[in-house]
Amino acid sequence: MSNVTCDHCHLEFTDSVMIHDEQYRFCCKGCQGIFHLLKDEGLESFYTKMGDTHLSPPTQIFESSHNFDSSVFYDQFVSVDKEGLCEVSLVIEGIHCAACVWLNEKALHKMDGVIEASINYTNNKAKIVWDDSVVKLSSIIDMIRAVGYDAFVYDASLQEVRANKERKEYYLRMAVATAVTMNMMWVAIAQYGGYFTGMTQEIKTILNFAEWFLATPVLFYSGWIFYRGAYYGLKNKAITMDLLVVTGSTLAYVYSIYITVLEKGEAYFDSVAMIITFVLFGKFLEVLSRKNAADTLDAMSKHIPSVVSVVRGDEIVEMSVSEVKVGEVLRVRSGERAALDGEVTSGEGNFDESSLTGESNPVYKRPSDTIISGTTSIDAILFYRATKDFAHSTYSHLVQLLEGAMSKKPHIEQLANRLSQHFSSTILFLAIATFWGWYFWPHSFDRSLMVGISVIIIACPCALALATPVATLVGLALGAKRGIVFKRAAHIETMAKATMIVLDKTGTITQGRPIVVNVEFTDNDIDMKTLYSLVGASKHPVSRAVARYIQEHDETLSQISLEESKEIPARGVVARHNGVVVAGGNGQLMKEMGIDSTIVSDNTLFYYAVDGKLSATFELRDTPKAKAKESIEKLKTFGLRVVMLTGDHEKTAYAVANDVGIDEVHAHLTPQGKLEFIQEAHRDGHIVVMAGDGVNDLLALAGADIGIAMGSGSDIAIEVSDVIILNDSLISLHEALAISRRTYGLIKQNLGISLVYNSITIPLAMSGYVIPLLAAISMSFSSLLVVGNSMRVKWMYTTDSNTKMS
Amino acid sequence: MDPWVVTMMLSGSLFLAGVALAGFLWAIKSGQFDDEKKMMSQVHFDDEQELNDAAQQQKKREELKKKEYRPE
Repeated sequence: MSNVTCDHCHLEFTDSVMIHDEQYRFCCKGCQGIFHLLKDEGLESFYTKMGDTHLSPPTQIFESSHNFDSSVFYDQFVSVDKEGLCEVSLVIEGIHCAACVWLNEKALHKMDGVIEASINYTNNKAKIVWDDSVVKLSSIIDMIRAVGYDAFVYDASLQEVRANKERKEYYLRMAVATAVTMNMMWVAIAQYGGYFTGMTQEIKTILNFAEWFLATPVLFYSGWIFYRGAYYGLKNKAITMDLLVVTGSTLAYVYSIYITVLEKGEAYFDSVAMIITFVLFGKFLEVLSRKNAADTLDAMSKHIPSVVSVVRGDEIVEMSVSEVKVGEVLRVRSGERAALDGEVTSGEGNFDESSLTGESNPVYKRPSDTIISGTTSIDAILFYRATKDFAHSTYSHLVQLLEGAMSKKPHIEQLANRLSQHFSSTILFLAIATFWGWYFWPHSFDRSLMVGISVIIIACPCALALATPVATLVGLALGAKRGIVFKRAAHIETMAKATMIVLDKTGTITQGRPIVVNVEFTDNDIDMKTLYSLVGASKHPVSRAVARYIQEHDETLSQISLEESKEIPARGVVARHNGVVVAGGNGQLMKEMGIDSTIVSDNTLFYYAVDGKLSATFELRDTPKAKAKESIEKLKTFGLRVVMLTGDHEKTAYAVANDVGIDEVHAHLTPQGKLEFIQEAHRDGHIVVMAGDGVNDLLALAGADIGIAMGSGSDIAIEVSDVIILNDSLISLHEALAISRRTYGLIKQNLGISLVYNSITIPLAMSGYVIPLLAAISMSFSSLLVVGNSMRVKWMYTTDSNTKMS
Repeated sequence: MDPWVVTMMLSGSLFLAGVALAGFLWAIKSGQFDDEKKMMSQVHFDDEQELNDAAQQQKKREELKKKEYRPE
């Protein structure tokens, strides 16, 4: 049978299952609907634009869009500008290609009242501006859904806007600096040519004026950042690198004007432009990777529903969480998060508390059980009475604690910063001393001034300013290639200085879910199909693990339907097959059914019984990740103190610690306990790296000098952390440390190089032997040395991994 | 070479460079490089229709302004 492609989504199906519509073929009603809609709207050129791309067929969305028009929603997400236009930020789901972007923008532009719809193809975020008196947001969302996509609203916080604005400002300044400096080079070539072959003073003056014209925007527009930095530095009584850059370039600029006007000597305009341009690039690299603590807290509060369903009399009203009073009854449906702390009044079901307690098994809640805010209902639809208001609930409390932990985060000063302060003040002092020395020796004023200025120019902070960013950038790139993301360049240095590494057990050292480690069959002709179907009916992690285990051993198995299948909370699953009762679950279930099951084990046990007779026993355990032991041994060779923290009980904790070779274990810790442990370590003078994945590690991640989130971790953990390990493996954790250490080593070398360089050239400058050409060459050469040396991070690492492989 | 010629050539070329730079700065400011993926792919869809669409949007915005300023 030949396959036919659907005319909308371009996926292939057999002809018989397709919907035939004149000459067109569709795989589903959804595709057909969109195809006709686009045709009616005159947007069918979408299909030629999209080429061979496949779309995912539209999923039907039953959720109504009317709640987008609620005033609570408007207050929170929609901003109104001074012209009275509404603006909202959306994330559009389902964008596969550039044509999708085109289609969404066009479809929205065609609507009356939509003033602007711009979609970012890179991150699928969209900004929509519309006139609320003509069209409502719900109809805009409906349109996006109608053409086969879905949209979610997100809170484009001010932080994000500000960060983008700052980046753009840097782009502009860098564009000016680069363009001008490049043009300046041509003029400078003529100058140097003239310097050796002779050139009339007249021509020289013309060239000087051209350079003056060029250098001015670089110094005062592009270099404005340094003036600002120097000013704030002085205000805080600190001599910064910015001050050195500003003094050096401004003095050189003023001196060059003096030369140009008096028509004697050599001007230094090209040096001014070059210093500013180089150092600006270095600074930009730093800004690029800056992260704001406030962003994290925003992300955290997003995890709490802002609108909750409250029972008022006979009906259920939606209202903002902060308006709910203690004692009111709220509804939570499956998949929703509880926003407030409370007590169950009616209904029952499973809750996932892993995000707060680290307990991986679902917890069953019945009336009068407590509900913790921030936990998610897995399958329960229940009503609970709020015992605390929003501000005092556990989750809000956690956010406050987090805020505290982040603000108290110890600040490890960067080597380059510390050094530059001394360096800057020394150079300034030397320059002034040189000037006075020459002036009183005695020399003419402008000769002395020129020598003084040459000290500052030759001590060009280029090499020093580039030492850290270039090495770091290479380190960052290397990390990124191996699935390690450092959120800020400075984290590399802090990480390299670490003395202690703290690991969370569940999800970091272990897989984070149980795995069958041992099976014992007591009945030889066990019907695997029935067992597979039985465990397949349950979503409990243990049942899932057993199902996975069976599937791995026999892929041909398929599920059959069992009668009267039902899940007994905290026990297991029971069903009937061919008139025989089959049951799978824990010891408790077996005991209640009168089946003898007295196996003693440290592991979780899953029993399977047919007709009241035990036929199989599965032992399950949360096993350590692959190569966990080797990685931890390697971490130890770095001289790090390796500690394992867990909220789990001691028996399991020690079993895992033994397996992977960790000697120091602290079990039974609450999220706050983990943070206290880290703060304790700080008091002992340790620099702590913490690796974790769950919300129960959040405080510790925020409080540690470096928080590392494992890639499979919760979104908030990733937000709070400084480093993310995407591939979730402990090997990468070791690599992250190795890369940071090598990079830091190179930073030190770079700083060493630039200092040695300066200690040779500065005395030369002070004694007045530096001619302009030498100054220019020396400047580029020192920068080249530093950049070249930094490239060795890469090189060292490749040779290292090659030898490891062979 | 006559100093006059040097001046003319220098100012001429610097003027051209200035125009190019100004264009580039305008492009950055108007957000044309904000989305690198879109920037590369949207070129394919650049035709008369797009121009009309952009003009349409502009008109909508202006109409709205007119509506607001109208005294009632």
